[in-house]
Amino acid sequence: MSHYVPPKQSKLSQLLDVIVLVTLTVGALFVPLWLNMAGSSKSVAAPVASPTWEALGQNAVQAAQYEALGYTPETAHDLILSRFDYSFTAGALIVMIVVIVAYYFLMLKFSESEYREVISEKFGDN
Amino acid sequence: METWNYVEYAAWALSVLLGLYMVVDWFTIDTTYSEDVLTSSREGELEAMTEESHKG
Amino acid sequence: MTDFDITSAERDGMGPHGTKVGLLRVLGPAHVWALGVGIVLVGEYMGWNFAVGKGGAYAALMACWFAGILYTCVAMIDSEVTSTVAAAGGQYTQAKHIVGPLMAFNVGLYLVFAYTMLEAANAITAGYLISVVATMTGYTGELDQRPFIILVIMFLAWLNYRGVLATLTFNLVITAIAFCAIIVLFLSTSGILGGGIMQHAALFEGHELPYGWIGVLAAMHFGLWYYLGIEGTTQAAEEVRSPARALPFGTLAGIMTLLIAATLTWYVCSGVLPWEFLGDGVNGSVAPLFDTARLSGSNALIWFLGFGTLFATLASANGCINDASRAWFAMGRDKYLPAWFGAVHPKYRTPYRSIIFLVPIALIFALGAPLDQVITFSILSGLLEYTFMPLNIILFRRKWPMGSIKRGYEHPFHPLPAIVLLTICAITFFAVFLGYGTQLVAMIGFYIVVSLWFHFWRYRFVDRGAQFTMPWPKPQGY
Repeated sequence: MSHYVPPKQSKLSQLLDVIVLVTLTVGALFVPLWLNMAGSSKSVAAPVASPTWEALGQNAVQAAQYEALGYTPETAHDLILSRFDYSFTAGALIVMIVVIVAYYFLMLKFSESEYREVISEKFGDN
Repeated sequence: METWNYVEYAAWALSVLLGLYMVVDWFTIDTTYSEDVLTSSREGELEAMTEESHKG
Repeated sequence: MTDFDITSAERDGMGPHGTKVGLLRVLGPAHVWALGVGIVLVGEYMGWNFAVGKGGAYAALMACWFAGILYTCVAMIDSEVTSTVAAAGGQYTQAKHIVGPLMAFNVGLYLVFAYTMLEAANAITAGYLISVVATMTGYTGELDQRPFIILVIMFLAWLNYRGVLATLTFNLVITAIAFCAIIVLFLSTSGILGGGIMQHAALFEGHELPYGWIGVLAAMHFGLWYYLGIEGTTQAAEEVRSPARALPFGTLAGIMTLLIAATLTWYVCSGVLPWEFLGDGVNGSVAPLFDTARLSGSNALIWFLGFGTLFATLASANGCINDASRAWFAMGRDKYLPAWFGAVHPKYRTPYRSIIFLVPIALIFALGAPLDQVITFSILSGLLEYTFMPLNIILFRRKWPMGSIKRGYEHPFHPLPAIVLLTICAITFFAVFLGYGTQLVAMIGFYIVVSLWFHFWRYRFVDRGAQFTMPWPKPQGY
């Protein structure tokens, strides 16, 4: 098998590669942020008017710890009652599974073909 | 001005100094040594060395 | 040279490659432990408690132990492969030799992102801590956190730039102090020494599993945070005096330390802090161990845990700079990235260009993105990496069966750890999906795009045969 000789990369082309990578990285982090699709937020489903520790579902010990931390029933109201929403659709779950499986499949397939080339150059064809 | 304001300025100044140190040293090294020497590191040298010592 | 036992049963006659300046081999097993535990221990001081918010205190304990199983598998698998493939770049180099170039490129990026994001998260936390200290000492104004965030990154980059021995010795000292702080807090609040303040039963009453069982699944997302980064020990491979011995020892000692620290942390914090407060890492308990110390009423404990928290963030950021720069350097050396990054400093013997390059990247994230976002990015990159590991070990054992090459450490019960690891990864993907599905898809979209870029453009600059550097026989099946 003929030996593959990689081209020598110019300084400018090296710089361009770095810029491409950094742009993609920053994009992956900030695009979901800009589109406001990021993160899961908590919300209070059933607010309690004029809350007391009992109304917030706290027993005496729990209430004592909150008071030691400097909370009153009013200031602790949102902290105690807000909950995540874990509902999801089957469609979204399937999309995620397909994306993950497809990603690893693609990865292994491309890697395998490149790897065969490496091995045959390193160890010879037989 | 309170103490913490001075601490803030000190943090800015120290950051700049450390950054400058690295950048200056980087340029000194890059202009003193040739690129061939700097990027001569190769993976697997340890394995290669063990091999040499076994042969020798 | 005689204590280097990474030798193959069969050799291919490879000679030294002509390295004029390489990385310095100066580290021992204690440094490996400090690198692994140092990166992770911050997870006990902040961040793990989001798992409490996701499913309640019991869910966080279950997540802690399930994630503990996940990471025990990771540590065992990693120890075996890395005691054989000892090179800077760690899992990247493993992937290159075992799975293939594209996988290696992806793994390299997982590493750099997981660590750089974690470094940014640490710097943000350190900045916050300093503002708390300012308030505690009576400062009334609004402290500007930015100079402190920048200083943390600059100082640690400078330390890394100047040499690996000082860097990791520093890590060893501050990590040990932070670990002792957790032990002391446990001993003095649990009733073992003096009066205890634990009230688990009363605090859990009525809030055993606030979300039911799905909350336990959801908690797995942040359960990883108890241990995230322990696999970074492998990055030190080229700088350790005796990698085949020190790496498995340091890594496995590290995971044991963390299992202890994680369980003690859960026990102490959940016995003092109500779960709604503990579980909200933004509006509630930002630094749960520190908050527990505050409720203990002892000023000495408050200061000890305060310093523990600060040291843990510094140790973590420090280890992250070390690991991310090694991975970036290793990819540059193989021309997976521009060759310019593959340079070693002739005096300090560190990958200085990679260290400098990653400073502004870390700063962008530390100054420009919210903390939970940065943490999620880091966790996702880690998770993709852990999913790669079982594939890696299965292929490793298939291509080079036992006995065909010498292994410094052989992990037991293969393929059981690989299967367990893959299963827990699948569960964690689901947990991430419950809270951050969009980011997950955006992230994988990113990796698909850069993979195509690598396969169709970047890979042309890589020397095909020469990137396989281990003196191993030809893999079976090729």
